[in-house]
Amino acid sequence: MEKKQYERPIIKSLNAGLMNKFGTRTEYAPMTHIDNVAVKDLIREYGSPLFVLSERKIRDNFKTTKRIFETRYPKVQFAWSYKTNYINAICNIFHQEGSWAEVVSRFEYEKALKNGVPGKKILFNGPDKTDDDLLTAIKNDSPIHIDHLDELYRLIELATEMKVKPRVAIRVNMDTGVYPMWDRFGFNYENGQAWDAINKIMATDKLNLIGLHCHIGTYMLVPSAYGVAANKMADLALGVKKRYNKVISYIDMGGGFASKNTLKGSLQLGVDYVPEINQYAEAICSALLNAGFDKDELPYLYLETGRALIDDAGFLLGSVISNKRLSDGRRATIMDFGVNILFTAFWYDHKVSPAQEFGMHTEDSVIYGPLCMNIDVVRENISLPPLKAGDQVVVHYVGAYNITQSMQFIALRPAVVLIDLSGKPHVIKQKESLKDVENNEVMPDYLKKFKL
Amino acid sequence: MQNLKQNIILYSEGILNSYSQIFFSTNKVFACLLMFVTFFDIRLGLSGLLAILIGQFTATIFNFNKEQIRSGAYTFNAVLVGIAIGNMYEYNLSFFVLLLMSSILVFFITLWFSTSLAKRGLPYLSIPFIITIWIVVMSSGNFFSLKPNLQHTYFLNDFLPGVFNETTQNIRDYKFANIIYLYLRSLGSIFFQYNDLAGIFIVIGLIIYSRIAFVLSVFGFIIGYLFYYFLQGDFTPLVYTYIGFNFILTAIALGGFFVVASKKSFLLILFMMPIIGLLISSLNAFFNTLHLPIYSLPFNIVVLLCLSALYLRPTANGLKLVGVQQYSPEKNHYKYYNSLERFSAETYYHIVLPIMNEWHISQGHSGNITHKEDWKFAWDFDLRDIDNKSFRLPGDTLNDFYCYDLPILAPADGWIVTIVDTVVDNEIGEVNLENNWGNTIIIKHGDLLFSKLSHLKHDSIKVKVGDYVRKGAIIATIGNSGRSPEPHLHFQMQATPYIGSKTLSYPISYYLTKQNEQLVFHSFDIPKQDEIVSNVLTTKLLLDSFNFIPGEKIKWIVKTDNKETEVLWEIVTNAYNQSYIYCHSTKSTAYYVNNGTLFYFTDFYGDKNSFLHSFYLVVHRVLLAYYEDIILKDKLLIDSFFNPIVKTTHDFTAPFFHYCTADYLFQFVSVDDEHQPTKIIAKSICEGKLFGKKTQTIKSVVTFEKNRIQTVEIVNGTKSTIATCIN
Repeated sequence: MEKKQYERPIIKSLNAGLMNKFGTRTEYAPMTHIDNVAVKDLIREYGSPLFVLSERKIRDNFKTTKRIFETRYPKVQFAWSYKTNYINAICNIFHQEGSWAEVVSRFEYEKALKNGVPGKKILFNGPDKTDDDLLTAIKNDSPIHIDHLDELYRLIELATEMKVKPRVAIRVNMDTGVYPMWDRFGFNYENGQAWDAINKIMATDKLNLIGLHCHIGTYMLVPSAYGVAANKMADLALGVKKRYNKVISYIDMGGGFASKNTLKGSLQLGVDYVPEINQYAEAICSALLNAGFDKDELPYLYLETGRALIDDAGFLLGSVISNKRLSDGRRATIMDFGVNILFTAFWYDHKVSPAQEFGMHTEDSVIYGPLCMNIDVVRENISLPPLKAGDQVVVHYVGAYNITQSMQFIALRPAVVLIDLSGKPHVIKQKESLKDVENNEVMPDYLKKFKL
Repeated sequence: MQNLKQNIILYSEGILNSYSQIFFSTNKVFACLLMFVTFFDIRLGLSGLLAILIGQFTATIFNFNKEQIRSGAYTFNAVLVGIAIGNMYEYNLSFFVLLLMSSILVFFITLWFSTSLAKRGLPYLSIPFIITIWIVVMSSGNFFSLKPNLQHTYFLNDFLPGVFNETTQNIRDYKFANIIYLYLRSLGSIFFQYNDLAGIFIVIGLIIYSRIAFVLSVFGFIIGYLFYYFLQGDFTPLVYTYIGFNFILTAIALGGFFVVASKKSFLLILFMMPIIGLLISSLNAFFNTLHLPIYSLPFNIVVLLCLSALYLRPTANGLKLVGVQQYSPEKNHYKYYNSLERFSAETYYHIVLPIMNEWHISQGHSGNITHKEDWKFAWDFDLRDIDNKSFRLPGDTLNDFYCYDLPILAPADGWIVTIVDTVVDNEIGEVNLENNWGNTIIIKHGDLLFSKLSHLKHDSIKVKVGDYVRKGAIIATIGNSGRSPEPHLHFQMQATPYIGSKTLSYPISYYLTKQNEQLVFHSFDIPKQDEIVSNVLTTKLLLDSFNFIPGEKIKWIVKTDNKETEVLWEIVTNAYNQSYIYCHSTKSTAYYVNNGTLFYFTDFYGDKNSFLHSFYLVVHRVLLAYYEDIILKDKLLIDSFFNPIVKTTHDFTAPFFHYCTADYLFQFVSVDDEHQPTKIIAKSICEGKLFGKKTQTIKSVVTFEKNRIQTVEIVNGTKSTIATCIN
């Protein structure tokens, strides 16, 4: 028989009245296993903190999302958004599922090539592309999504020099009724910039306009905004066909679908109010199907969904370093992970579950990270059972952006483990060492020695 | 001048065909031999020929179809009448008057029967001949100027001193061997020739015309002979009275001409020959009292009765009637086995799956849940995840089910005839047995073809009764109404427009299944339970490349072993809406069908060394949708693959088994841009196989570019050809 857990005593004011209007938030159901692998074992084996990704969940998410779109629209292509999570093993899961690559920098581009994605299937996005980047993309026949006029002019020059016709798309921004409007990327639809760019491309004959791209925002909570966007994109595509008799091969609706995380300041939990993927799909697909495309000229629908495919497949395991009481009486828990590896803590109230069984009592507390910096707050207010040093917790919905945005600030970055379909863990990124951090440092000879 | 030349060709072809048509053939060599045989007795030959000319003249005066004159269809009965009269009476003036009258008469009777029997899809055979002869025989008693012909002058026999007769005499001495002699005499007797040489010539011609017909004639004759042998009848008089050939002609007609030659057709002959025997005896007994000859009457009766019975069958299983007559048992046979699938493509209305992308068949035809009895030919569709669940956890609301609220498409063009949209969706696990079909749409595709889609979401139907919907249009979404414990789509075909109608077993025209991550193409097949199915998504470049427009001219530069020639093709559509490619330089034609999903060739006539023929082989069947891993298979006619001796020998046993086969494989190799292809490369392999061993391989690489077929590279043994389109 297992030894009973000791739980420290707590003092809590008795709330005998009605429940408050938000109900009771019970986030502390313990999560002891991920895909049938014990959290305890994972931490013992690979250390704490630790990122864990579930291959089963990733594949399930992808297949489900793909199906949701493909059963509503006949021509769909996904491109894995590298910036969301570009550990090669993760990228390859998506590539195995048929996803192309969507990159926003040269280094991501190289990564995709190295992973074996054919150049033709790497969508090159982003405002920052050097001449060399563009040349490489042209050589590999990658679709280049043009962000601004300077890039457009440069491309025309390069294409003229190279005597090839690069395949390009333009990024379009537009008013979809959602604030803030993402008008810093691409060409605006309403004020005619988009048409201006299209006209310039069609007039030169140096570039092959094959697609239209948009990305209306991130963490979009209003599916109908996508319907508006799809309508405007279809209008452009049909306009190009009408004006230039040129069939647009694809409409890239970007990403921005919300995951189940809870945004800071929202009243409800993310799982309760975030739209289902099929609501986004319905908005986009019905807009495109009803736009009036010729049956044989229906454009492909490209999707660069990142977050919604992987956020809930990622977990961060960590351990309690210490408990303390703050000057105002609040309870504070210091964890061995902070904003250095959980960057998204800046905008989400992450769900944190204890990884072992607890009693029925909870206590409001603050979760701090291990950094010696005041900003290192994981949760400002959370109701958790009494935790003691060494106890383990699981942070949910961390698959997107955290691994790519984590930094070697004060602490080194932890290992990343992937649990495969059969429940076997694989290290897909080693825990960092001092050597990794110093790898690119160069010490001038005269600084090598000192005496204290 | 041109016109005169054409007319001479037309009428002389008509004369030749009149002879060969008696054996259901249009073979010229055979026709010449038969004509030659009739001239063994120069009087018979001449009166036969005269009868044809009179028939052709009459047909021309009455402005009848020239092609029919060419085919000999109007005049093959006239030959028989001419010969028969020549056989009966001596030449004098009244003879020729009689010949003239009876030739005109037989033409009119032919016309009458050709139209009245055509309504039932039946041939008129030699009925006009029999009727005319009876009229002549019955009337001639009154006309004393007609002198019965008593002496038979065998023109050729006079000069060749009985060589053949002696040979056959020797054969006759062996037991049973006299059957050979009787067989030859019977063949000769069709043209009122009573000698062996005629029979030998006809046999040679018959073998040249068709090996299958020859085998059938021997088989039929032996069965007839054995029937008489076992019933202890006397067979020999049949030969003298020009009746024995009934067995031969019936065997050819039913064994390979009107019915596709097969083991089964031989079995049919086995049963029909004794009936011929019975008819010969009984008809003889009756008509003898009237002093009328019966000639080919038993043959006519048996063939017509048997064909009507075959036409009236409720289901055409087993014996196959020839669809498009090729005037050769061989062609009928090979074509049939070659185009089973093509026949179905043309006979069925094209129905596609009513869903978008990959779906799971949760219950197929004769399923074990609800697809039973009168409603067994139906499909249920749902979606499954990697754990084979149709829902995500917890699965207790409609929204948890993957297929709920997904769009449903019209499976084919048609009118909306019935709609139910009033049934509220059930909670999970509940069923509505009162309105068991739930919300339903019934679409009319034809007078006896309807499709029904059931268990739709309440208030999701986007069409009204009377609307015309196009294939693939979204008409509703999936719900959970009626007898449906969880969301799914019920789809069935039926012959009547009612809810609750009995289902119809009807195939889906073209669809794909996924087996071990590999796509498999199906045509006119029925999806089975637990298959993952999807519709074929066509590729614009391929559609454009094969979108031949009538009148369009296609020019090729064909380079064969350093020799360069220019070839000009033209696309033609004939009066029957059949399209073909006509090659100007070789005057060859290749008939094709393009139904929007498949392009395939159906027939080729003309020069087998032409580039058109190679093209006909290497793009024999093309899927107009780019899928890298699908291999399209087909059977080719063996015509193009074996030397004439092997091919001819193969014919003798073809109805029973094929040891010569020709297979066709087609596969796409590469595409420049999967989503908007501007260049696609495909390869095909045609393989001739003798007893399963490869004898000849034709490999080809076809490039589609600039919305057309740009290049075709063909390697046939050591010969390589590269053709480039230069339009």
